[in-house]
Amino acid sequence: MAAYLSMGEAHRRITDYLARFSDAVASQDVASLKPLLSLSSASPSLVSLADALNLLQDSNRLIKQSDRYSQFAEILAPLFRCLQNYRLHNLVDAYPAYEKAANAFIQEFRNWDSAWALEALYVIAYEIRVLAERADRELSANGKMPEKLKAAGSFLMKVFGVLAGKGPKRVGALYVTCQLFKVYFKLGTVHLCRSVIRSIETARIFDFEEFPQRDKVTYMYYTGRLEVYNENFTAADQKLSYALAHCNPHSEANIRMILKYLIPVKLSIGILPKDWLLERYNLVEYRNIVQALKRGDLRLLRSALEQHEDRFLRSGVYLVLEKLELQVYQRLLKKIYIIQKQKEPTKAHQMKLEVIIKALKWLEIDMDLDEVECIVAILIHKNLMKGYFAHKSKVVVLSKQDPFPKLTGKPVNA
Amino acid sequence: MERRQNHHQQPQNPRRNPSSSSSSSQSSNHRSRYRPPNRAGGDARPHRREDPYLDSGDAAVGGRPRSLARPMRAHASEAAAGSSIGVRERQEQHRRDQDREDDRDCRELASVVGTCPHMCPVGEMAQRERLRDLAVFERLHGNPAKTSPELAVKKFCRTISTRDVQLSDIRPFSVLGSTLDYLMSLMNSTPEPFETVHDFIFDRTRSIRQDLSMQNIVDKRVIHMYEKMVNFHVTSHHKLRLRSSGPDSFNISSLHHLNMEQLAKVLTSLYNLYDLNRDHSSTHKNEPEYRSLYVLLCLNSESLPEGERLSLWFRRVPTPVIKSKEMSFARRILRYFRTGNYSRFFSTIAAEASYLQYCALEPYIDKVRALAVLCINNGGYKLHPYPIAHLSNLLMMEESEVESFCNACGLETSLDEQGNKVLPTKQPAFEHPKAGYGKYGFSG
Repeated sequence: MAAYLSMGEAHRRITDYLARFSDAVASQDVASLKPLLSLSSASPSLVSLADALNLLQDSNRLIKQSDRYSQFAEILAPLFRCLQNYRLHNLVDAYPAYEKAANAFIQEFRNWDSAWALEALYVIAYEIRVLAERADRELSANGKMPEKLKAAGSFLMKVFGVLAGKGPKRVGALYVTCQLFKVYFKLGTVHLCRSVIRSIETARIFDFEEFPQRDKVTYMYYTGRLEVYNENFTAADQKLSYALAHCNPHSEANIRMILKYLIPVKLSIGILPKDWLLERYNLVEYRNIVQALKRGDLRLLRSALEQHEDRFLRSGVYLVLEKLELQVYQRLLKKIYIIQKQKEPTKAHQMKLEVIIKALKWLEIDMDLDEVECIVAILIHKNLMKGYFAHKSKVVVLSKQDPFPKLTGKPVNA
Repeated sequence: MERRQNHHQQPQNPRRNPSSSSSSSQSSNHRSRYRPPNRAGGDARPHRREDPYLDSGDAAVGGRPRSLARPMRAHASEAAAGSSIGVRERQEQHRRDQDREDDRDCRELASVVGTCPHMCPVGEMAQRERLRDLAVFERLHGNPAKTSPELAVKKFCRTISTRDVQLSDIRPFSVLGSTLDYLMSLMNSTPEPFETVHDFIFDRTRSIRQDLSMQNIVDKRVIHMYEKMVNFHVTSHHKLRLRSSGPDSFNISSLHHLNMEQLAKVLTSLYNLYDLNRDHSSTHKNEPEYRSLYVLLCLNSESLPEGERLSLWFRRVPTPVIKSKEMSFARRILRYFRTGNYSRFFSTIAAEASYLQYCALEPYIDKVRALAVLCINNGGYKLHPYPIAHLSNLLMMEESEVESFCNACGLETSLDEQGNKVLPTKQPAFEHPKAGYGKYGFSG
């Protein structure tokens, strides 16, 4: 606690807060209401209020001194308890108090006809998530099961329910959805996103384009990532490209975050980024992967994956990148084909499996005949190569027309 | 709520049939003392509806502190909402109630320690004797109405509130440990058909997890117990599959499904336990192998029930585990599976898989075999039929099995001029073999 705080001063701070709160609600002044709920801002006035609460202890008496305040007692009393605990760095107890206050707030919000308090609800949705994350960290540090973020997810779902119906409040549903995504991604329960997404995307009563731009971009970013994890590259491409096209062009960090997922998607459908793009947004971890695809260099692909393994695994694109192997094989075989064509154009479409083995050996990759035959069979099956292989004579015979079809924006066949 | 849970349970649950002699199922026709009445009612519902962890009513570690105080608290806030402004005393009283309630929550959660000295609480034993609700393993000298503390094991039942449970109905850690060991010993020591054994252990281990989580035991001691339960479900995965053709195949396939469902839950709990008990100095001894099982169970993009996609799942795996020998094996298998490298897929399994790992990935083996046959049939030169002997080496199966497998794929085999068995390529009739079309060995 800072310098000496008198009881009188403490009293004054608390009543001041109460007055500001009830005035803001009475005049529907959301700009004044927001900072009163914004726990994590650590604003000097909230900090000094918390000190006052901890000194006075009996703030409930003050809430009840006037009807103006006591009508919001269900919000204010737990909010005060939360602030007290928050100030004492006791986040595990601060969380349930905030949730209680937030629940009471949405009760009020539900009864208000207009959506004037939407911005305040955003603050609550944000705060509850961040507070829950911190409380969970405290819990795990004490060897207990983290459980607050899960609770925050349930609460946000409730908020979503309040907003998702018809009417002027619906415009806020996407913000809450994005907060929910953050919760579910963190908890590893992204399958829960599905019902929310369905509700957003199938609703006839509200055009997606009417949501605020900021929320649309965040939404497309998260749903795009989900499509990456599901390996629906066409949908992922569409969503992430939307996010890229509509995000704030000055926010390099956001562009980078989108590209981090969009690049692997584009690679998977056969579209390679220019080197300056990787340079410009500091995504050089993809450079060798792009090189490997250009050169058909399997060894380079493997070493690039290994070098950045941790980063790729943490962002969840590792498996997508790993699967580019098939395109690298395609490129390698195509190079062999081109070389053969220069040497002996008439026989170029016949490729001995031994030649492939030799090429791989240059790359220090050991493969036996069985495996090379298997790779060839898979490439034919996936339509990355046209032709057939003859098991007995250990040779691939390539189609004379377009032996290595390009992907041109379509994913490799499943 | 009761109804909703039943609903959740029943559709995939044909084994809960009344004639089942083991009857280890939770029969819904009686309300016993150990099945507490549903008091939580309406309040819990909105909280639980969207909550993945609490949804099942299972005792997975994540689902613990459900309802110790909900009923009272809900009551209090309803009353408060109705009270008029200015009734200061009443509100004050409510608030004090609530606070006291919160305090008690914390104390209770920390302090529940069961006192039941047997595998089954005495009251439940008496009641099930009376109801003749004894599994075949629990009957004393085969008498369906007589059991003993050495035979009876507490059944799983959905509990709404820990508050209604007596401490004498909960088994303390040491009893749970020996109960589990007893159950595991049944796996290989009984003449009963495996379905019956499985049904019994399935239910009773579930009840063990419930007792563990009611007492909030989440420290290192339980890790080993969870590992044993994973073993049970993973080996069951394999054994149920072996029995999956025959007259009872429908029943078995639903057992299989339920087994996977519980396996997913036990694995999730186990991984939580690993994380919770991690210190920087070491990884848990068996963690690499048990983590690798998740990868091997969800090789295709389908994940376990309620489980995570692998891309997301990997984000949480600690680096030393990622680098471990066991995980490196699983990741290579995953790569071979995803790129279709059937050649390496089989040879690597044959060379490196542990028994548990093999059990986990076994269902994929025939899928990859079918892919191999498909690719060879499609991509092979028409004038060079593919030798069955070679296919047998590739797919790691007996020649006779290769033939019948090809037939199951809709393809015919024949003899070449030298009298060797071959698979003529470019046959138009390839189809993926139907599920449960047969069981082929793995000769690795």
